Amino acid sequence: MAIFSFLRSTVLSKIVMAITGVLLLLFIIGHLVGNLQIYLGPEPLNTYAQFLKSIGEILWIVRIVLFVSLVLHIITSLYLSSINNSAKPVKYQVVNYAKAKINSRSMLVTGIMIFAFITYHLLHFTFGITNPEHYEQHELTVKKAYVLPGNVSEEQLKSMPKNCFVEQNILTERHDVYKMVVLGFRNPFISLAYIVAVVLLGFHLSHAIKSCFHTLGVTGPKFTPWMERCSTIFSIIITLLYVSIPISVLLGLVGGGV
Amino acid sequence: MKFTLHIWRQKDTTSKGSFETYKMEDVSEHMSLLEMIDVLNEQLISEGKEPIAFDHDCREGICGACSMTINGRPHGNMKGTTTCQLHMRMFKDGDELWIEPFRARAFPVIKDLVVDRSALDRIIAAGGYVTVNTGAAQDANSIPVPKESADLAMDAAQCIGCGACVASCPNGAAMLFTAAKIMQLALLPQGQPERKKRAIAMIEQMDKEGFGACRNYYECEANCPKNISVRFISRMNIEFLSAATAKSM
Ligand code: HEM
Repeated sequence: MAIFSFLRSTVLSKIVMAITGVLLLLFIIGHLVGNLQIYLGPEPLNTYAQFLKSIGEILWIVRIVLFVSLVLHIITSLYLSSINNSAKPVKYQVVNYAKAKINSRSMLVTGIMIFAFITYHLLHFTFGITNPEHYEQHELTVKKAYVLPGNVSEEQLKSMPKNCFVEQNILTERHDVYKMVVLGFRNPFISLAYIVAVVLLGFHLSHAIKSCFHTLGVTGPKFTPWMERCSTIFSIIITLLYVSIPISVLLGLVGGGV
Repeated sequence: MKFTLHIWRQKDTTSKGSFETYKMEDVSEHMSLLEMIDVLNEQLISEGKEPIAFDHDCREGICGACSMTINGRPHGNMKGTTTCQLHMRMFKDGDELWIEPFRARAFPVIKDLVVDRSALDRIIAAGGYVTVNTGAAQDANSIPVPKESADLAMDAAQCIGCGACVASCPNGAAMLFTAAKIMQLALLPQGQPERKKRAIAMIEQMDKEGFGACRNYYECEANCPKNISVRFISRMNIEFLSAATAKSM
């Protein structure tokens, strides 16, 4: 396929790795900010979830961009890894790396495990297939509505006082994301799976963030050491914040009312 | 000083090699590692055995010929030196040394520690030069070069093409070599006319030779006897991107 012709060049492949990686990273940050609203309680989290569903086309554009990025990221990583393996058929008797740390040497392994997790995560919370009993949660809220008297134009509406209308209560139903998450994470095995996956993601990111700066040419003698330190701290913070959610649920700090 | 040496012996490219163990006594701490192998070879010759084949030339750290990996590090564990400048006083008495040829698919072993590094020459032949009309050289000051560019170009030009970057890279990538050679010319006015063509041609040749890709391990920089910075690889990526975009437009 023409779209994969960049695979003919190792340098272009690396650039594709970095650009798709950055897009996925932006999602990881956005998703975290969204998820942290669980600490604000059911109302803000469910409203946020409802808002995401309501933006329709934009949500689908984001989903498609992410899906294409993930596919390109994975295919390119498999391709590069096969080239890299065949470029070094005989290994040294004595292995003595100066700089290559375990996180950079295990990018493919952590990547594949992250992919397995993404699949499970979607089946669990997005499609509600693995645990429908977690997924099928609905929140009923009562809202006020007014019955309009016959044919009134918008102009007239503005000038009429509210007590001209008949007030009624209507029942609305929306997905109770808060309850779904709390029920899901109360299962210690599921929580453990999420924690392990996020730690692996943090491991991937601890090499990936600085690596994409380097690949995309954002380097400098003063900037690079500073950027590398920030990237490490940043990936630790991301990991801890994500991990805090299942732990808070397990400890009963979140979701007491569910 | 005393050393136990495990040295890779291989008859030719196609035969299977293995490590041979040699005990060295009375090694002077002033010897370089190559001089110690010279002494060992004298012994082997006097015993009627085949001496160990290894590459070497200037023995003053500027030619880059002395390719070998000592205890997992191309040119040994000392930063910014070639094997010929690695003296035995850098090791501890009684150390065990594993000496292997540079390993990479693009560097087939010719014999013992000697590998064929002509893949690097073919990358240079693909565009690592400036085409000029011969004739009288023009006045040196007629082409102004900014100090920063001259300094950076000199840093890149330090590369002696020894192949330690390839040998140390877990992916057998030649990115540091290729980047230094491309950027050295891209930073100078003389390199401008062929700049885009050069970047594309040299990188294509690098891929054709079967080198791996960069995963930002930075082993190359750590093992480079000339301390060339991995930032040249970053610059090369951008150089390639702009050349490839210009070409496709
Ligand atoms: C949402 C999850 C992910 C994020 C945020 C992410 C991010 C990144 C980033 C930023 C890089 C650095 C690119 C560079 O070196 O310039 C990278 C590299 C890499 N990623 Fe991911 N990645 C994710 C998922 C995956 C998955 C599912 C795989 C599956 C195989 C994978 C495999 C790799 C590999 C092998 C590399 C190293 C590529 C190389 O340098 O040769 N990643 N990732």
